[in-house]
Amino acid sequence: MEPLSSYIILSAALLGIGIYGLVSKRNAIRLLFSVELIVNAANINFVAFARYSNPPMLAGWNIVFFSIAAAAMEATVGLALILVAFRLNGTIDVRKLNRLRG
Amino acid sequence: MPDIAFLALSGLVIVSAIFALEAKELIYGAVGLAFSLIGVAGLFILLGAEYLAMFQISVYVGAVVVLILFTIMLVRRESGRIVEEEEPGRLGRAGILVAGLIALAVSGAIVLLVPISPEAPEFYGVPLPELGRDLASSYAVPLVILGLVIGATVVGGLTLAKVEREKKPNGTTQ
Repeated sequence: MEPLSSYIILSAALLGIGIYGLVSKRNAIRLLFSVELIVNAANINFVAFARYSNPPMLAGWNIVFFSIAAAAMEATVGLALILVAFRLNGTIDVRKLNRLRG
Repeated sequence: MPDIAFLALSGLVIVSAIFALEAKELIYGAVGLAFSLIGVAGLFILLGAEYLAMFQISVYVGAVVVLILFTIMLVRRESGRIVEEEEPGRLGRAGILVAGLIALAVSGAIVLLVPISPEAPEFYGVPLPELGRDLASSYAVPLVILGLVIGATVVGGLTLAKVEREKKPNGTTQ
C-alpha cells in the first residue's frame, strides 16, 4: 500500500497542472478542462484521506459522490454558457470576450 | 517500495492531463482529459472505492467528456475553424511558474508536516448496504437537493443553449 503522502503529492501535481491551464490558456473549453482537473485533485484527496483514517470514513466517499455530481452540473452550465458566448461573439477566446470590461 | 499500479496510474493521470491542456487539436485534448479521468477512477479502485470509480467513469467519461466533445463539434462547425492556438509566451511561463510554486508548496508542506505517513487500516471494500443506508438516512436531504439542482441545471442549460428562431443566417443574434 502506498503512503498517504504520495496520493497527496499526486493531487498537488494535478492541482498545479489545472492552475497552469487556468492562468495561461485562452480557449474557454480548455479553462473548463482545467477546472475539471482541479476538482479531480480534490476528489483524490477526499478518497485518500477517507481510506487512511482509522477506521475508514464513509463520509469521504459520500462527499466525493456529491462532488462528482456537482462537477457534472458545473460542466453542463459552463458548456451552455460557452455556446451562448460563441453565438454572441463568434469566438470563445476569453481574452476577446471583454465586452463587459468598463 | 512503490506500488507499480500506483506509479502507472499516476503517470497516466499526469501525462494525459498535460496532454489535455497542450494538445494542438481541442478534440484530442478532450480525449486526453477522458484518459486522465479514467486514471483517477483507477486510483479510486486502488483506494478501495470501486463504486466511486464506476460513478466517476459513467458520469465523467460517459457524460461530461461526451458533452464537451459535442460542444467542440458545435463550436467548430459554426465557425469553420477553432479559435487560438498561439499561446502568449509570457503568460505560459508565468502559469508554469505559479502552478509549480503552488504544487511545490503544497507537497513540501505535506512532507514537512506529516513526517510519518499513517498506515492504511485493514479494509475490504466499501460496505455498499451501509453506504446506501447512509445515503438514505443522514444524506437524504442533500440527495434531494442534489436532484433539485440537477433539474435546475438541465432547465438552465436548455434555456441558455436554445436557438432563437429569428436569428440571422450568419449565426449571430444581434
